[in-house]
Amino acid sequence: MISTRFVLKRLLLLVPVLVGVASLVFSILHLSPGDPALTIAGERASEEFVRQVEESLGLNDPIWVQYGRFLLDAAQFQFGESFIIQRNTAVREVLANKLPVTLELAIYGQLIGISLGIPLGILSAVKQDSITDHLTRIGALAGISVPIFWSGPLLILLFAQVLGWLPTSGRISVLYNVEAIRVTGLVTVDTLIAGNWEMFVSAVRHMILPASVIGVYSMALISRMMRSSMLEVIRQDYMRTARAKGQGSKITVLKHGFRNAMIPVITVIGIQFGGLLGGAVLTETVFAIGGIGTLLVEAIKVGDYPIVQGTVLTFAFLFTLVNLGVDITYSILDPRIEQ
Amino acid sequence: MSAPPEPPAADADADVDAPPARERAAIRLRLVGTAALAGALIAAVWLAAMLVVGDFAGSVETTFALGSLAFGFGLLGWSGAVALGRGIESMQTHLDTDTGWTERDARRAMARILGFGLGVMLGATVVGSVVATIA
Repeated sequence: MISTRFVLKRLLLLVPVLVGVASLVFSILHLSPGDPALTIAGERASEEFVRQVEESLGLNDPIWVQYGRFLLDAAQFQFGESFIIQRNTAVREVLANKLPVTLELAIYGQLIGISLGIPLGILSAVKQDSITDHLTRIGALAGISVPIFWSGPLLILLFAQVLGWLPTSGRISVLYNVEAIRVTGLVTVDTLIAGNWEMFVSAVRHMILPASVIGVYSMALISRMMRSSMLEVIRQDYMRTARAKGQGSKITVLKHGFRNAMIPVITVIGIQFGGLLGGAVLTETVFAIGGIGTLLVEAIKVGDYPIVQGTVLTFAFLFTLVNLGVDITYSILDPRIEQ
Repeated sequence: MSAPPEPPAADADADVDAPPARERAAIRLRLVGTAALAGALIAAVWLAAMLVVGDFAGSVETTFALGSLAFGFGLLGWSGAVALGRGIESMQTHLDTDTGWTERDARRAMARILGFGLGVMLGATVVGSVVATIA
């Protein structure tokens, strides 16, 4: 049973993280070249108009006043409206449209990574120094070493161009209007809710390649971690005792070893998920999926500061929430950790 | 064989627990406070120099922004160390990549950076406000 105090303590950690990220974003935007007022007003605008824009944005106030106001707005998740990317649209609205795209990609990628990485890691540990172990380790090393911007196009070349099994890019076939059935923003879920089987198949086929690219990278680290953690657990006295009592090898590993070996693996999964949210930028670019990562890069390029602020804080918030989940999972696996 | 120690009374128990907590708080305060003082002094000296030879208004903005950069970095690093430090420590051990990095040291280092940044921000605010009032 997880104590409320433990969860509250972990939730409280959200505050310094978000204040820290907000401060970093504020300082970087103030230190970087470029004038937001000039960006909004346009290069041909008169000096007087630029001053008016500065006044309306509060850029004439002392910097500590701007900082305080920025923190207050950030606490309410108010970042104003987009200057350029989706002019006059609230940042919250822009993020609400783009976030599910990245989340869907990260979730499926992580699911692939976990479902392959954990069994491979256990197999590798149980059959230490066998051919299976060597092959798994080579696979894991290759998975970590091969960058997404190289493996992505290769997979597209093989499965889309040569074999023609899967589509090259996008989230769903252009024949379908997914906006008409939008509920959660996750295409695979929305198509299921709508009960449209053809659309669902199309969405899944579009998701396979990008999620696999992310998943292979994730799988590599998880399987390596699982292997070393399981090897350590296998050598423990209680495992020897279980075997001495006549318990089968598989049951001993899965019943007594798995739970204990999972604790460090959970950490990797948590840290990886945060990394996947940020790292999805490359995958989104390679597979032409317009998610939050691509939005962030675009916003930085054109100087759309409210979008940059909103996106970075959303990433930080999600990352912290994932780590809260990791901590709760820890305490379920090993209640002593709560102490 | 020595006699078993007498169980302490409830009040005595509280007294035994109190000093370490106060001591810990004092250590933390000293850790952040000295760094903040250093930051505030550096900001004040720098801005005083800028008042004489440079663009004062621009320097106040830049100094404050640099302070908030250090503050944000420190705060993020500190909370990251608190939340993930133990996990990272054990991950390093399991991956055989132990570098001697510890959660405790990371937390203390980040607290110093945080304090320094806070000091710079406060220094810039005070000097900027005073000069604006006088001018």
